[in-house]
Amino acid sequence: MFELSTGVCNPKMLNEGDYSAYDALYLGDYSCPLYPENFSAHIDVLSKAVETVHNWGKKSFVRLYAVPSNHELLWMEEFIEEVFKLPVDGIEVHNMGLLRMLKNMGNQIPVHLGVFGNLYTHETARILKEYGVERVYPNPELSLKEIVFIKEQTPIDVLVPVHGKMPLVISETCFILEHDASSEGKCNYACTEEHWLHRSEGDWSLKDTGRMTVSGKDLCMIEYMQQMVDQGLQHFHVQNLGEPADYAGTVGAIYRRELDRITAGLQPESMEEMLQALSAHAKMGLCNGYYFESAGQHYIGRG
Amino acid sequence: MAVGAVDAGADSIYVGALGWSRRPYELEMTDSQIKEVITHAKANDADIRVVFNTFPSPMEYRQWLDAIARFAELGAAGFIVTDPGAIAPIRQLAPDAVIHVSIGSGITNLEDVYFYKDLGADVIILPYRWGVKEVRELHKKCDIEKEVFLFEPIQTGKICPGKCIMSSYLKFRNWTEEEGKDYFYGSANRGAKECYRICQKAWDFGVVNEAHQALKLRSDAHLMLEQIPEMIQAGVSCFKLSGRERPAKMICDLVAFYRKVIDGILDGTQIDMSAYAAEMEVLRKRWVAAKGRRVNSLVSRAHSYGHEKSSVKEGI
Repeated sequence: MFELSTGVCNPKMLNEGDYSAYDALYLGDYSCPLYPENFSAHIDVLSKAVETVHNWGKKSFVRLYAVPSNHELLWMEEFIEEVFKLPVDGIEVHNMGLLRMLKNMGNQIPVHLGVFGNLYTHETARILKEYGVERVYPNPELSLKEIVFIKEQTPIDVLVPVHGKMPLVISETCFILEHDASSEGKCNYACTEEHWLHRSEGDWSLKDTGRMTVSGKDLCMIEYMQQMVDQGLQHFHVQNLGEPADYAGTVGAIYRRELDRITAGLQPESMEEMLQALSAHAKMGLCNGYYFESAGQHYIGRG
Repeated sequence: MAVGAVDAGADSIYVGALGWSRRPYELEMTDSQIKEVITHAKANDADIRVVFNTFPSPMEYRQWLDAIARFAELGAAGFIVTDPGAIAPIRQLAPDAVIHVSIGSGITNLEDVYFYKDLGADVIILPYRWGVKEVRELHKKCDIEKEVFLFEPIQTGKICPGKCIMSSYLKFRNWTEEEGKDYFYGSANRGAKECYRICQKAWDFGVVNEAHQALKLRSDAHLMLEQIPEMIQAGVSCFKLSGRERPAKMICDLVAFYRKVIDGILDGTQIDMSAYAAEMEVLRKRWVAAKGRRVNSLVSRAHSYGHEKSSVKEGI
């Protein structure tokens, strides 16, 4: 009935994480093709991962690099041709140019529009359907009301992020590399260590992964799962990029428990224990994103 | 400012319609103001294009399209949009309008340009990162009008117009009262139109528990001069100044300066850009000073605004 998914960047993450709570895995780090053994750029490791994920009885979706420049279109076209040969359940695209390229290449695999596809309106969702898009990850700035409106107005599924750091910015160049004097301009995978941006005036914190900046706080919608289900939402996602190995397992188990409770029609549990467990994995605290028409970093809460 | 820019020699003026462009309401214009500048522009062989480059809420789409129809009727020559879904309805509402794809569409490659052209766009506003080489390649491969900001290409930092929601993650202000719209949610993309430019202030950056660097998240843009002849040769037909957040006098001076530079290149009377170096230097200093004032003002607003409509639990 419901689908709970998360992202897995490379074989190390796939091997070390516990994904038993999930129905589907998005394979690859769409923010940087240079990330070590990134499924979004290495067809051999991707092929093995797809097999593994299917053997686990889960769906596999491939994430494509989100912001390709002109010089990257060629390798991406070659990569996509190889992806076509794999039994993947979907391809996630963030870039309109790649969307067009997929259509022109005769793609038959369902396309998911990724978060940096910047989907804000139902009118755009309808156009994207003509490009094979069957699922959209709306821009995080949309409220829950707007997401439900888009789902109701279009023949397209909506992927709703429910937990994890929200992607806020993506660029074609790596901020970590640009400011790492020891790298001499060559990627030395410094992003495998956590980098943060802080500004004491305003008490602002953001996490930086090199080409992408994500929210300092972790989006947390555990208190609202019933409300979202009641509004017809079915596909839920946990952001896992750059998190410790136990993050996906711990978070996934909590959301799975809540979804199972909803499916069984049982009475709601106390949220305190779940919120405490989720808070323990969120260095900068939890937030509700933009779902309730607030600035993204605030936690509104039911109580 | 719009009248001044026409008088200083601009061919087209882009004006923000109240509530629908990526700038604060005080930098946008009412219907009657837009009608007035359309009349003035027409009398001076210029035209007015209206900026609708927010991503509207799906729930206010009808209202958004009605506003576009109203300005088409008033004689607007074109519209700048970001949302791909807007292009076909605008073409239907205003068949002769020039449709520009905003910098906020965040294009990064040629295939992106084809995508918007396929949808019916006439003009593409090129990314800040693209230099002459990319523009030339686009010109060779795709028959679409090209518009560039008069900034030198920048290759580093977080330059991601349309693909950045940092500002609204941290803080936003509800502008409903000022603009009289039913739906309003704060962000540059959506129409709170008050990106606080937090990327242009210093942040502590580094690995946890290690010494941090104080860094701006993006480099400063420099006004373009030396690249203009090559950009014209590469097929750029429209140069654009981002003027709405700058003093009107400075923008009029810049329009007059660039009018002179471009006309000199086109008629061959001055193709050596070094002839303008001293004048450019002065204008660049004025630009940087005005921009600094604006960024400081926006960041201080971000600090001073309180939380918005809902009660907020902190510390979870």
